[in-house]
Amino acid sequence: LSSEEEDSENEDVFRKKYPKPSQVGSGQNLESENLIDETSDIEDLLKEEEDYKEENNYSTETLGDLKWKEELSRKAAEAFLRQQQATPNLLKLIYGTVTEDNEEEGDTQEELGGLFHVSQPDGGCKHKADSLDCSRFFVEAPHDWDLEEVMNSIKDCFVTGKWEDDK
Amino acid sequence: MATQEHCLSYAGCNFLRQRLVLSTLSGRPVKIRKIRSRDDNPGLRDFEASFIRLLDKITNGSRIEINQTGTTLYYQPGLLYGGFVEHDCSVLRSIGYYLESLLCLAPFMKHPLKIVLRGVTNDQVDPSVDVLKATALPLLKQFGIDGESFELKIVRRGMPPGGGGEVVFSCPIRKVLKPIQLTDPGKIKRIRGMAYSVRVSPQMANRIVDSARSILNKFIPDIYIYTDHMKGVNSGKSPGFGLSLVAETTNGTFLSAELASNPQGQGTAVLPEDLGRNCARLLLEEIYRGGCVDSTNQSLALLFMTLGQQDVSKVLLGPLSPYTIEFLRHLKSFFQIMFKIETKPCGEELKGGDKVLMTCVGVGFSSLSKTLK
Repeated sequence: LSSEEEDSENEDVFRKKYPKPSQVGSGQNLESENLIDETSDIEDLLKEEEDYKEENNYSTETLGDLKWKEELSRKAAEAFLRQQQATPNLLKLIYGTVTEDNEEEGDTQEELGGLFHVSQPDGGCKHKADSLDCSRFFVEAPHDWDLEEVMNSIKDCFVTGKWEDDK
Repeated sequence: MATQEHCLSYAGCNFLRQRLVLSTLSGRPVKIRKIRSRDDNPGLRDFEASFIRLLDKITNGSRIEINQTGTTLYYQPGLLYGGFVEHDCSVLRSIGYYLESLLCLAPFMKHPLKIVLRGVTNDQVDPSVDVLKATALPLLKQFGIDGESFELKIVRRGMPPGGGGEVVFSCPIRKVLKPIQLTDPGKIKRIRGMAYSVRVSPQMANRIVDSARSILNKFIPDIYIYTDHMKGVNSGKSPGFGLSLVAETTNGTFLSAELASNPQGQGTAVLPEDLGRNCARLLLEEIYRGGCVDSTNQSLALLFMTLGQQDVSKVLLGPLSPYTIEFLRHLKSFFQIMFKIETKPCGEELKGGDKVLMTCVGVGFSSLSKTLK
């Protein structure tokens, strides 16, 4: 994705999430726009903010208009940080590492008596490089499907389960 | 697209197929070094050599250089040609190993591909031809690859170690692929399956069916598992049996699971009852992972999203498999495409584990081989 496309997409998301800016107030809009600049992970942030909006509606009734606006930016920033720590950033995990092969590992090898190389045992990375080329995703830690609660965890995937209201 | 940029360099034999496939599609040459260089038996194996020969058959003008020990491979892709091809696959891997890559390449041939593949149809490692037929073909249809000639036919079954199976795959060509918006998998409306047995008692398949049903019936009543007992020349050279299960949702998503018996002379004998029950549990695992594409076909969906028109494509996936993660990295190096990746936590819903929403804009790929008519 080029950065332009991403920007426009972000704006789309923004508009969708805030169809009526007048309801929310201009202060919050400004704040969240600042945060867009700071981070690319806008979706999570907006989600968090929505949660907080509900809480704050409650305080609006009790404490007045200005009070909740003050708290908002700090809360949003904190929520964002918490979110960042809690969920690993998949984008970084996938694209962050160097995937092309790293050159010249031989340089670090020791020499014995100026004649023999010490062959280092394969590290984890090397092991992966020569392992089996297979697209199947094998289950490493299977659930116990005889347990009632495990069976219930996929109950709504079936037509026999609960349906959403809109269907 | 065919600008001869510097060739990409990798180490190790893992992910060989996706590297060669992406190299062929992007036109960028690729060099793979240190293929099992520290192994007692270094270099490319028979099944990889067979895969390279297959690539050579379906392309025109590919240059392949392998050093004497087989530890270094240089591949300069030619143009995808297609036409009628026959190929004897190595029995070390199943036909699925070869077919997965053919599914990626077939829509972009100059002439529609019709290929006869011989070898092992079902084994314990690769996706079997039954599963690919039931899951990958409907997935390709979502991208607009469809028609009468789009077919995967299992003529003979062959189990390892002997093989002797045969399938015919034919695929029409497409100038452009449709972008997809698969964000809601819907609900599972039925489960279908195929219990096969070759060179063993036909009763094996029935025993598998009964045990698999005993688990799946707790979730949904609409289950039908076909039994397929091939005889004579159609049953290949080795005995064996197995089961593949596919769950179909209201929105046309297919989730699959499969198991096969141990090859003759390897490991202990597997009871068909155990195999049926374990396969049913694997299907439940796959449903728990969920998403709009099952875990074996994740990379196929992502590839066609990348190659689609210059439009936004979205797909909801279960957890990404290691193979898919590496594929995403390769897509970035070959096509400069990065996906937008958002995690969708499962929350309170009883719909299995966390999901991942993948979004990208296609590169507007049109096959080079078709412009040179």
